[in-house]
Amino acid sequence: MNFEELFRDFWWLLFPIFGMSMGLWGMSSSERRSREVMNLIRSYVDQGKEVPPELLRMAQSDWEAPSRSPQPPQQANLWTFFTFAAIAAGFTVGWWYIRAEEWSFAFLVVAVTFAVLALGALIITITSRRP
Amino acid sequence: MSEELFRDYWWLMFPVFGMVIAILGAARDSAYQDRVIREAREKLERK
Repeated sequence: MNFEELFRDFWWLLFPIFGMSMGLWGMSSSERRSREVMNLIRSYVDQGKEVPPELLRMAQSDWEAPSRSPQPPQQANLWTFFTFAAIAAGFTVGWWYIRAEEWSFAFLVVAVTFAVLALGALIITITSRRP
Repeated sequence: MSEELFRDYWWLMFPVFGMVIAILGAARDSAYQDRVIREAREKLERK
């Protein structure tokens, strides 16, 4: 089996491997940082000094990046809807192009899953609208 | 690698691009958090 055959058979493994790697990296770095931040806050408090606001923000916001300003829930739900809808549309187009292949159902499964998620996000957005 | 392989899998460019962007974003967030921790530690040691 050469590289091309191997790639053709297992290209889809890119996605779960990427997801698992990012998940592991995120978990390990998040755990290490939260320990460091808590130790630093404790040191500041022990010495009676004012804790830097960035440090407190990091401890409070569960490592949310500073560039991501907090959005109102309705706007966030609407954005989630568009994201899921775009992914569903992309996988639907992908499925359409390769529908003759035996394994094309995988694309359809992902497309339907994201379409359902998009629908859910839309329903939440509509039902949580403020008067 | 053949031209045929590229013809069959050219669309993988888009998810791979998304993955690269995700990695860059995660690295940027990580660098920011490390900088905040480093600066806080330096400030604590300076005072």
